[in-house]
This record gives sequence, C-alpha cells and structure tokens, in this order.
Amino acid sequence: MQVEFELLMPKTLSEALTMLAPAAERGLADSSTPVMPIAGGTNVIPDLRDGRLRPAVLMDVSALDVLRGIRRENDLPGGLPGGLPGGRHGGGFIIIGGGTTIATLLTDPLIAQHAAALRQAAAVFANPLVRNRATVAGNLADASPAADTAPPLLVLDAEVELTSRSGTRWAPVEAFMVGVRKTVRRPAELITAIRFPVPPANSASAFHKVGLRKADAISVLSVAVLVECDADGLCHKARIALGSVAPTPIRARAAEDRLQGQVLTPALIEAAARLAAEAARPIDDLRGSAVYRQRVVGVVTRRLLTAVVDQARKVSSQFFGESPTPEEQSHATQSHHTQS
Amino acid sequence: MTYQTVGRSKPRVDAPAKVTGKALYPGDITYPDMLHMATLFAGRPHARVLAIDTAAAAAAPGVVAVFTAKDVPVNEYGMQRPDRPVLCGPGSAKAGGDVARFVGDQVALVVAETEAQARAALKLIKVEWEDLPLVLDPEAAMQPGAYQLHPDCPDNVTCSYHIRSGDVEAALTEADVVVEGVYLTPVQEHVYLQPEAGVAYIDAAGRVTVEVAGQWVHEDRKEIAHALDIPVDQVRVIYPAIGGAFGGREDMSVQITLALVAWRLAQRGIRRPVKTIWSRAESIIGHGKRHAMKLWARWGARQDGTLVAAEVKVIADGGAYCYTSNKVLGNTTLTCTGPYYIPNVSVDTYAVYTNHVPGAAFRGFGGPQGHFEAEGQMDKLAEALGIDPVELRLKNVLTDATPLPTGQPIPGGVGLTQTIIAAAQAAGWTQDADGHWHKPADGKWQMANDDTQYPIPNTQCPIKRGLGFACGFKNVGFSFGYQENSHARIELRGGTEIEEATLYIAGADVGQGHHTAMAQIAAETLGAPFERVKVVASDTATMQNAGSASASRLTYMGGNAVRGAAAQALVAWRNEDRPAVGDFKYLAPKTTTIDHETGQGRPNFAYGYVAQAVRVAVDIETGQVRIEQFISADDVGQAVNPQQVVGQIEGGVVQAVGYALLEDFRTDQGKVLTDKLSTYLIPTVLDIPEQLASIIVDVPDPNGPYGARGMGEMPYLPVAPAVAAAVYDAVGVRFDDFPLTAERVWRGLREAAGSAAGPVSE
Repeated sequence: MQVEFELLMPKTLSEALTMLAPAAERGLADSSTPVMPIAGGTNVIPDLRDGRLRPAVLMDVSALDVLRGIRRENDLPGGLPGGLPGGRHGGGFIIIGGGTTIATLLTDPLIAQHAAALRQAAAVFANPLVRNRATVAGNLADASPAADTAPPLLVLDAEVELTSRSGTRWAPVEAFMVGVRKTVRRPAELITAIRFPVPPANSASAFHKVGLRKADAISVLSVAVLVECDADGLCHKARIALGSVAPTPIRARAAEDRLQGQVLTPALIEAAARLAAEAARPIDDLRGSAVYRQRVVGVVTRRLLTAVVDQARKVSSQFFGESPTPEEQSHATQSHHTQS
Repeated sequence: MTYQTVGRSKPRVDAPAKVTGKALYPGDITYPDMLHMATLFAGRPHARVLAIDTAAAAAAPGVVAVFTAKDVPVNEYGMQRPDRPVLCGPGSAKAGGDVARFVGDQVALVVAETEAQARAALKLIKVEWEDLPLVLDPEAAMQPGAYQLHPDCPDNVTCSYHIRSGDVEAALTEADVVVEGVYLTPVQEHVYLQPEAGVAYIDAAGRVTVEVAGQWVHEDRKEIAHALDIPVDQVRVIYPAIGGAFGGREDMSVQITLALVAWRLAQRGIRRPVKTIWSRAESIIGHGKRHAMKLWARWGARQDGTLVAAEVKVIADGGAYCYTSNKVLGNTTLTCTGPYYIPNVSVDTYAVYTNHVPGAAFRGFGGPQGHFEAEGQMDKLAEALGIDPVELRLKNVLTDATPLPTGQPIPGGVGLTQTIIAAAQAAGWTQDADGHWHKPADGKWQMANDDTQYPIPNTQCPIKRGLGFACGFKNVGFSFGYQENSHARIELRGGTEIEEATLYIAGADVGQGHHTAMAQIAAETLGAPFERVKVVASDTATMQNAGSASASRLTYMGGNAVRGAAAQALVAWRNEDRPAVGDFKYLAPKTTTIDHETGQGRPNFAYGYVAQAVRVAVDIETGQVRIEQFISADDVGQAVNPQQVVGQIEGGVVQAVGYALLEDFRTDQGKVLTDKLSTYLIPTVLDIPEQLASIIVDVPDPNGPYGARGMGEMPYLPVAPAVAAAVYDAVGVRFDDFPLTAERVWRGLREAAGSAAGPVSE
C-alpha cells in the first residue's frame, strides 16, 4: 500500500526539536498533525504500509550525526540526576546516542566489555540488513513487548533521554514503556540518548531469545540477567528481565530479591528461575502458547543465571579474591579493557 | 559413461543476465503507456456475491475500467477440472460462479493509470455478500448431509484411488508384528521469491499476449483461451525470468485475469499494456498450497523383517477447487506403501473439497505425505522387530524384479539399493560379515553443545542427539494414462562446422537450470561446443509444447526431445541443409490409468530414488531441534550438470527441513492467519543443516536422455520422516505429526513424561 506523507529532514538537533514542537509553540495555527520521528524506519515503514500508522508528517533524524555513537562519561554535565540506582559502580555511564544502530552495538568495544547482554541481543536482532538501519532508540520507542534490546537495557538499569525544546528529562526504561506500543514520550520529545551505569567488573550479564527460527524472528520469549557477586558467590546485585511475556518487557523483581544478598547456589538459582516464570504473564499467540512461554522462561532464566554467576565469580576471584573496592574495580576494568 | 558436455558443471546460460540485473522478472517489466490492474479478493471463505456495485470505483481518479464475472465469457478454469470461476459474482456465465469458496477467490479487477489508483479504487467496490456454511474438516465433509461445495462431486470427494492386491486382512492376522499409526501432515506455502506478476497486451499479430511466470506456457495458453472463448492461436504466453515455482505456479494466478483485461480493453479501443503485481499477502492467500493429509496405516511383517501387508487410508484436504488434487493424490497413493515390495496391499485415498485455500502441486506432489507415513511405519517396524532400520529397508526394497502394488515392476534401472547403501555408509553404518547392518555408535559422532547463535552455556544444557534414516521414490512425469510428450526444435547454422545451434524449447526454467541442461544435451548430441548452443525458450508464438516444469519431468522429457531434435538436425546438416533443422516430439513409454477398484495398471514410465540420513540435536527443556548433519544420496541416473543436481538436492532438503521443523500455515475459520513472511516462517541460512552432503548415485535410466532420470523432487521426499526418526532416536518420543516446532516437541516430551503440569524446570 502506498501512503502519502510529508517528510522533514532536519540538519541539526535544534532544528529537529523545533520541528517536533507543537505548532502553537512554533507560531503556527494548526496543531492537529504531530510529527513522527523516523530513524531506521524498520518499524515505521511496515506500519505505514499496513495502515497501522497514518502520520501526515515524518521527520527523518538519520542525518543527525550528533545522535550517533557510544561513549563513556565519568562525569555527566550537570551532575548525576537523583534517583539513579546507587551502588558501587563508580565507573561512570555508557551513553548510547539516540541515532545509534543495532549493528553498532555489535562492534562497539564498550558494549562488548560492559554489556554482554545487550551485545547478545543485538546479535540475534532481526537480520543484518535491519540491524544496519534500526536504532536502539527506535526499538524502545516502538515499545513492542518483544523489543530485543529492552530486557538487556532493563537489567543494565538504563534510562532514556527525552529532549524537547523546553529541556531534557530522563526516564528509566522500565517507566518508559507503559503498554503495548505505548511510551511516555511526548509528541514534542525526541529520544536523544540511552544511558546506563557501567556495571562493576565483578558482574556479568547475558541475554537469550527463544525464537521460532534463528534469525529474523520475533521472540517467543526472551530473558536478560545481570548478576554482581563476589568470588564466593555472594550476590550483591541481581537483575532479571523478561520479554514477550507481558504487555511490556518486565523486571522479575521477586526473583531478583530472592538472589540479593544470598550465596548463589544451584538451588537458589532454580528458585529464582521459578519466581521469574511466575512473574511472566504471557498470552497465547501465533508464536507460542502462554504455558510454553511461562515454563521456558524458567528454563532460560536458570541457564542464564548459571552462566553469568559462573562468569562473575571467575572475574571476582581473578582480580580481587574478595569483594573489590571501587578503586580496585576501576583499575580492574581498565586493565581488562587493555587486555581485550 | 563419460561424455563431452553431459556430466560437466557447465556455467548456467541464464546466470550472466541474472547476476547483472539484466534479466527481467515479470514484475520488472514496464512498457510505455502501461496501465495497472488490481484484484479484489473475496476475503471470505464461503459466501455468495449477491450484488456488486462498481460505480464509485469506476468513477475514481485514474480508473480506466472495472471488470466482474459478467465480463468473463467462459467463467471457469482448472487444469484438471474447470471447477473454479475466474471471477465470482452475479451475471456469471456458469452456474455457481457467484460463490466464493475460499478467501483467495477473485471478485473484481480494477484497471487504472497507476497501481496506487487501482488499489485505492478496490476499496470503493461495494459487494453484498451472503455468507454460506463453512466446510473445514475433510472427514466431516465426507459424511452424509454435509454441505456440498460442488454439486457434481458427492460427499465433497474431489477424487479417490483404491489399490487391492492380495489379502491384507489374512496377511495382517498371520504377521508376526503389526504396527499402526495415524499421521498428520501440514499445509505448506511455496514462498517463491517472486510474487505473482505479469503484463498483458495485444501483440503485433493481434494476439492476446501475457508475459508471466508459470510452469507450462502451453497450458496457460489453453486455459486463457478457454476462459476468453477464443482459439488458442489468438493467445500468446511468454515466460521471462521466473522467480521460483515449486509447483505453486502450476495453476493459474494472474494469467487469465490479465489476458481478460487486455482483451476487453482492446474491444473498447484501448490498446495499452496492463501490468499487475500481487503483494506477498495476496500471493499467500491467492495460490494453492501443499495438501494437508491424514493417513491411517497398519503394516505387518514377519519376524525376519519381510513385509507382508500394508493397509493405508488417506484423506487429503483438497480445499476449494480441484487444481491438481488428482495428480497429488495419485502420488500419495503410490508412495504411501513406500518403495517396498509388499504382497498384500489395501490403499484408499480421498481428496476432499473444503473452504480452505486449494491444495495444489508442490514439489513431490503427494509424495512427501505418503513417505511420512510409510517411512514412519518402517521406523516403527524396525524397532518392533529389533532389526536395524537400514537392514529392514534393504531387505524389502523394490528392485528391477519386484512388482509395485499396482501389479507390475517399475521400469528398469531401480537404484534404490544403491542409494540406501550410499547414504547409510556415509552416515557411518557398517555391514558385518554375516551381512547385517549396524547403526554407528553414538560415540562416533559428538559435536559441541554450544550453539553459536544461542550462547547457552554447556553446563546443564540437556541436549539429546539422534540419528534417523529414510528413503523414497517417485515417478517422473504426470502419466497415469496421460501420454507424456515434449517438443524441441534445433536450427544449425554454419559452413563446414556448426557455428551456431539455436535450440527452441518451451520448457520453463523456474530456477532449476533447465535451459542449461537442455543446451548441454544439445551440445553433447551435436558434438558441438556448449558455448555455441543458443537457447530460445518459453514463447508459445515460436515453439511447440514441451510440457510442464513439474513432476521431475523436464530434464527427462525435454532432454529426450532435444536429443531427438539434435539427431535429426545432424542428419539434415550432413545433407547440407542450411540452416539444418531438427524438429522432434518425444513420446514417453505408454502408461495406463490404474483400475478404479483394484489399482492395477502401469501408471508410470520412470522413477527417481533417494535415501537420507540425518543427525539432530534436541534441547529437551525447550524442545528446539537442530539439524547437525544431513546426508542425501540421490539416484539421478546421469547428472547432466552435477552442480545443478547438487543445487537441487540442497534446495530440496532445505525446503523440506522447513516443512519438517518450522513452516506452520495457520488458518481460523477459513481465514489465513499467516499471510506475511513475518508470521509464515521459512528457514533462514542459519536454520539449515549445519552439514549437508549430497551424494550423486548414477544407475542409468533405460529411457532417459544419456541415462538421466528426473530428480528435482526426490531430495524432498524422505526429509520429514528422517527427521522424525532422528528425533525419536534422540528423545524416545514418536511424533506422527509435524512441523516439529520447539513447542510441539516440548509438549510431546512432557506428555510422554506424564508431567504436563510438572515443575517449571527440571
């Protein structure tokens, strides 16, 4: 189906934000047609063709180089906003520009080193052609329950930067997606970045997606986990997130709480996996039944936890023997980086 | 035998144009001043069109014309039985032509200046529908009192076959072991790369001309001429490059509608080319599918492994129209007792009308369904008897001397034994001094537990591995009494030596390499270099009937025609004719229908053979099945072009792996739920077997060109039963239905363990 629309092509971020601003704010009379940002277009174009989306105006942000790239910042300008997850990271933030493609996640050394779960999600994201176009921001903005980058970003405590002409605000990923294809983004806002605190070195994360085939498949279910523990397996922090089993990607908080402050034994991991399965609220659809999703969420959670606990403990004993101090950890992170 | 050109992997004659983008597929063709056609599909599985109001559509911007049933002179078509209206609606020239019997029935055609205008105008057509009762379950549809979809077919039975040989009841009573099963095989969609498309116009000679992708130009021409009620010589069909077919282009899609529109416009003084392209969703609802079948089987054997009896009943969902259901069911009838000598056989097969998308031709016709049951029975028998599955097959397999259940031996050169041994040995089977066959020990084959795509850790990842085996056979050509024939013409130019050989052949190169194979056979017969053969193909205006690219027949039939034409041309060449012309129609050995009550007869003149071994890894916690190794040994008689043969084996196996493990065509109340490639999933390159070995076996066919036999479908046939056997070997649970999706396997494992409500992860 062919659809007619107006296409705006801003050259600067400020121009883009002006285009997004309500018509009244721009001194125009009619404010009935909000502008739809488009980057890779891998969701927007199929939605246009299928008639699910009828915007009169699209704004292509793919030319905004300022939104591209992944960087690490130890001191954020203006200081750290309140309410950030605390803890012993001390390693600053990794900031993913709002125009960064999924393919970039696969080649970026910071992601490889600090966010294995996100990298693994990128590796099974759609297909290589889509990965070259689709953006992390677009994946979140689409707010599909099956968004592949969402569970990893949830376990990484990531936040979404929403920028409009009137300023910037940060929304945790968990609060950003509020329903199937619904987010808290306001029409005048653009996703300009996604950021997450650099996980400590004695942590590990992983992602696994069960799809009906190995590529180009919307997930039947997906799980991401992150565990921070010491060499004895004492858990300092645990995160478990699930995709395709609820209206939005969700955290399995009861399962996380079961692990927190405990020594991570196989029995404990099994118990947490069961709690994760209980947290799932899946439906039957063409890809799979609710009962299959629920049970296999437990299986995958157990496997991922087992793997990441193993990794995190190894790193802990390799570098610290005991729980690290922030200084040690920062040092370890850098030396690890040099090795890689 | 060693030949000059045959048996060598010559480069494909169509490759340069395809890789440089010069080759035009139907959707790529544009002409100046071209109009565009869009099709209104019924979208309802069973409903009568009470009225159509096209006024608003006709008045819409850019619309040139709107056509409905009343514009079709003979509103019926069908390759085997003309039971389908071209357009459903009032004013139809045929009774019952106002009823849509599946969602893909067509109701109206809009012609406009642009495709967008044509499609927009579709929405303005007002159709008044009267919904009719749905007929969805073939078994229920056969019961007395069921709604009759076609008045001339009692009990909704499209066609049926019966074989009676020996005394099955007595033999089953006396058998040492009897195994039973009820097998369910799924629908499959062809998913050729290129959706239906074409361009129609009136050519310089005044013929209604359609450039389209199909499988048989002359049959397309015949069906167009029938619907338009004009002589065939006023119709011309041309195939440009064809983007895959697999049987799905056997029946008409856009051929008749495009021709109708160009012809009606010309009558109104509008002589402009008309183009149409179906969307993928239209393609998926608009063309036929592989028949879903239910097969009941009871087979008996003696303790030593000798098969004594097979009783099989099959009910196939034929969907709304006959299409090639009779051919498909004929192949199921012959293959449902496997490639074995069985003295006592009773087979009853039925294809039944429903309101589903029609069952149609698809690589192997009904052979894959018949083999799934037959080879499943053999795997069960091997287990029950405690005999190695390879040994059991070798003990019973058809040879040159043993008769089929239809009463006569299959024509000579039966290479089944050779393919079974080749595949078994490649998979590690060994034969001991006493002649017994032994499956390789598990230890000989171990691969890493890790999966690069899914980084599940090795620890606690319960992967079970298994090895499965199956074999198969299928006829080459349509036959069953139809006199198979194929025509070719060759013109030789030059002085003392042949400088150019022009081969005219109407056979469709659907991607299988047909034109290359024909050029090789021409070069071989002429003793001329391959490079000097020029192929002119697929235009009814300049060549005669070569028959369909179907039923693994085209290398065999077309090859014999080319060989005959080349031999004739050589005679003319020696007589110093310039150009020297050979014009030859090859007639295959005669066949007969099979008797309707007993099935006795000689239904086919040639067969092809295959045996396969497959190793799978099953994740018993998620149900995911991965194919780690696949071996396919195919008796192709003589590989005309070995590279293309391997391509057919690999393609056939991959397509059948999709059928066995993945492809899941879903409908609800006759409506198609999986009409997109995001919901109807076929294998990606990451889903195909990690290792795939193609073994070419060459037992010459006595009548094939240079000994070649048909082979395009055979690699497909035993894949699903081989995979099911391997999964059983791995996990000890039988699956008599498929696709073996992760969830189906997971459920089967839990049901077998009696713990469907068990703990989350054990």
